[in-house]
Amino acid sequence: MKNKEMVYEHFISKDFKKKILLKVSTVLIPIFTLLTLFFVVIAYEGFEMRDRGPPGRSPIEDIVGVPELLFWLILFVVIIPYLVIMIILSVSLSIYIRNYSFEVLENNIIIHHGVITKTKATIPFIQIQNINVVSGIFDRIFKLYTVKIETAARSRSGSSPALIKFNPEGHIPGLKEPNIIEDKINEMMKRLSHVPSKLEDKIFKPEELAFDNFISYILSKMHEGKELKTNIKELREKMNISSAQLAEKVGVPIQTITYLEEGRYNPSLSLAYKIANVLNCKVEDLFQLA
Amino acid sequence: MGIIPRFNKKLVSRIKELREEQKISQQELAKSVGVSRQTIYYLERGASNPSLTLSLDISKTLNKPIEEIFYFEPVIRDLVDNIKLGDIKEIADEIGIDYNKILKLSEIDDEQLSKMYTEEELTKISEALGEEFHKLFLKDEE
Repeated sequence: MKNKEMVYEHFISKDFKKKILLKVSTVLIPIFTLLTLFFVVIAYEGFEMRDRGPPGRSPIEDIVGVPELLFWLILFVVIIPYLVIMIILSVSLSIYIRNYSFEVLENNIIIHHGVITKTKATIPFIQIQNINVVSGIFDRIFKLYTVKIETAARSRSGSSPALIKFNPEGHIPGLKEPNIIEDKINEMMKRLSHVPSKLEDKIFKPEELAFDNFISYILSKMHEGKELKTNIKELREKMNISSAQLAEKVGVPIQTITYLEEGRYNPSLSLAYKIANVLNCKVEDLFQLA
Repeated sequence: MGIIPRFNKKLVSRIKELREEQKISQQELAKSVGVSRQTIYYLERGASNPSLTLSLDISKTLNKPIEEIFYFEPVIRDLVDNIKLGDIKEIADEIGIDYNKILKLSEIDDEQLSKMYTEEELTKISEALGEEFHKLFLKDEE
């Protein structure tokens, strides 16, 4: 059935379940604790107030005592809902983890996911705009990483780069070793290249800017070869433009500008021209080979 | 409010011209910038977007500022320049737009474009040239 060679297949870590349970618990436990306290206060305060008031007892108190009422209240409103939420979550997470898999093929990445409705997402390498590796507080406890693959979806009305929207289509959570998938994609990109030479020599067609940005990102990650000195930051600050504004004007993600300013990114010539145009200077004023 | 048309541009390189002027072969240039000859070939053929470091290397080797080697040119320029005059006349008659107006498209800049042409005219012209509007022109909103 598969006519294309599979390069890499992987699943997400079981720790992902623990992470989500922990994350949800940190939200739920304070809420339910507050709820419990609220019941306790209401029950005892209400009791005292009625004592001080005119005689006559409430019918409920005749049937059950306050501590007993409190116990049932807490059981049904706090403990059982909490357990139910946790059990449902735990079961669905187990299914989610079991169903989740992704494979790197020759030209694209395929992600299978879903608990009840199953989805198969195919992301061609050419459309990949950026790859973010994210690790939040809870991720770090379990040494997990989330890989977000952003693709550029062009709006139909025009080809202006400002209209490109970023969709985190490929969302791969709970990874122990995000580097492997990054390396695999990198490896495949090299094979996809039309020019069988060094990755750095690669040239791009104008319509392949997204592809270009991705390669540049990989290159910046590899951080090898020639050093590029830049004074984008100085010129930008002189003109009072924030990096977000600059990114928007030239139609790239903010990270691209950040990498550029750190000198870790070898941009394409057309991107360099665009920036020079916005900052109203020459390319040579912006970038020098170190 | 209104829409200002702009040329969609592509990167053009003058590597071949400059290289031949200085009597450097493709192979020699490739070697001195540390890339394969094929890369230089692709660059010279145009429709390519080299990395900045490669461009800077080439500009150093050819001893010219980068802006003189690589520059942007309206996509439509090639298209209009490569059509025979007779054919342009035919197209002009067909869509009812002045013949000179089509020819002028290969000479003018963005400012003149927005003054002389309406979006409707440009859409007609791009259709007649067998291209989609957004491949030849961009729209700026005022």
